[in-house]
Amino acid sequence: MKIISNNSKTDKEDMRKIWEKIGDYFRANSIWMKWYCTGCGAIELPPTMTSRFDMERLGMGPMATPRQADVLLITGYLSSKTLRRIIYSYEQMQDPKYVVGFGSCTINGGIYYDSYATMKQLDNYLPVDLYIAGCMPRPEAVMNGFDTLISMIKKGEANGWKHYKENYDWYSRNQLHSLGEVYVKDEFHE
Amino acid sequence: MNSMNSIYENLKSKFNILGVDYPDDMQMAIDLDEKDIHTVIVYLKSIGYTQLSMLTCVDWIKEGVFQLVYIVFNWDNGIHILVRTKLDRENPKFRTIVEIYPGAQFYERDVHEFFGVEFEGNEISYKNLFLELWDDMPPMRKDFDPQKYSDEKYAAREYKSKFISEVGGEK
Repeated sequence: MKIISNNSKTDKEDMRKIWEKIGDYFRANSIWMKWYCTGCGAIELPPTMTSRFDMERLGMGPMATPRQADVLLITGYLSSKTLRRIIYSYEQMQDPKYVVGFGSCTINGGIYYDSYATMKQLDNYLPVDLYIAGCMPRPEAVMNGFDTLISMIKKGEANGWKHYKENYDWYSRNQLHSLGEVYVKDEFHE
Repeated sequence: MNSMNSIYENLKSKFNILGVDYPDDMQMAIDLDEKDIHTVIVYLKSIGYTQLSMLTCVDWIKEGVFQLVYIVFNWDNGIHILVRTKLDRENPKFRTIVEIYPGAQFYERDVHEFFGVEFEGNEISYKNLFLELWDDMPPMRKDFDPQKYSDEKYAAREYKSKFISEVGGEK
């Protein structure tokens, strides 16, 4: 399966319009993150949010609903069941939106590489702007990653959401291959 | 251990116990024939083992059996009793205990989903509890190959170089 790079270096010169640059400047300084706790990595976020590391000094805060959030954090292993809900959440979010993958499980499956229920590569299914490596990444690494994300947004490099629209067929094909069907079918949706 | 011994003597005087084992200080495991299970569980519930802590299954693939394990717990003396029985692996069927412990509903669905054991009398035991749109054999059976399933369904990341051989590990 071919991997399409999200951060293609072909458009090296900044093609953004002036209002897009202004928009990106303000977006970068006020990021609301949708905190969907998919795996064990979510436990690193309370120390990142609270007084010790204090994420809010970067202008970031947690947000309860996907429709009001800018960043989707995939914190840890991603099961096939969770991926359906993640796709629901991601497609509800307003543009521009960014995806951050946490930990080795989202990168290559991590210790769940042979699990019958766990995705091995997140960027097959959603456009990942930034990976934070580690098992799990400590709050220092998380803060560092958020700092990188902010500078990427300022430079206009975090274009995963555009990539998702342009290559929707490819993403959709991967999603269907792994999940069979994206629609959630459980007892509560009968 | 004295109280455990008296419990064992009491059970032995009433039922045909095939084997006994003590996994822990406060735990006793008894093996029974499958036709005695419901009688013993009803009896244990009546003498104070009011909580069904767990119902699970073990796949003994070389013997060709599934072992069902019912774990009941008594809040008065803090003792767990593991009631175990063996079923034929080819056509695993057993009768439900939902009438005795209603909470067994979810355990029976779980065992049905992951091992394929059918529970007669539990009408919704076929419903999936955890897996969605599952399309292979029950995944906790020993002859299920999770690596193969994972490789078929979930694409793995391809690396350009082999890091293990570069650092002098296995080639």
